Amino acid sequence: MQDYRFDDNIDNFPIAMAYVPWQHFDQIFDNLEKAYRIGTIFPDLDKPFTGRRCV
Amino acid sequence: MMNNKEQMLFDIGIIDFVLVDLMEYLDTHPFDQAAMDYFNHYAKIKNQMVKEFSQKYYPLTKDLAESNKEWRWGSAPLPWEGVC
Repeated sequence: MQDYRFDDNIDNFPIAMAYVPWQHFDQIFDNLEKAYRIGTIFPDLDKPFTGRRCV
Repeated sequence: MMNNKEQMLFDIGIIDFVLVDLMEYLDTHPFDQAAMDYFNHYAKIKNQMVKEFSQKYYPLTKDLAESNKEWRWGSAPLPWEGVC
């Protein structure tokens, strides 16, 4: 199985497959109560659902 | 306004959430040293907090129910008493 790096050109990936970019450990929220309310400790994953588009 | 007991339980809940989130990350990144350092750090803090709460109010787990004059396990409020 070929391993695709996340910075490879997405046009070279096999079509019709879904891809999830690999998460890298960067930082966590300083304010853990805020993280608790948001639902993740990772600022990268703070993706509020708007019902329409990605944030 | 939360009293001290409620605040401590709330904080334990937050730390436990942090551990769960780190755990999920570590499940897919088992060699990530930075994440492991965070996990170890917060696991230690959580253990301290749970121990402190259990000594001050009531035992949160059986292994912290050590008692002298009165059996303390039964001193915890019951689920239908609106605490958990």
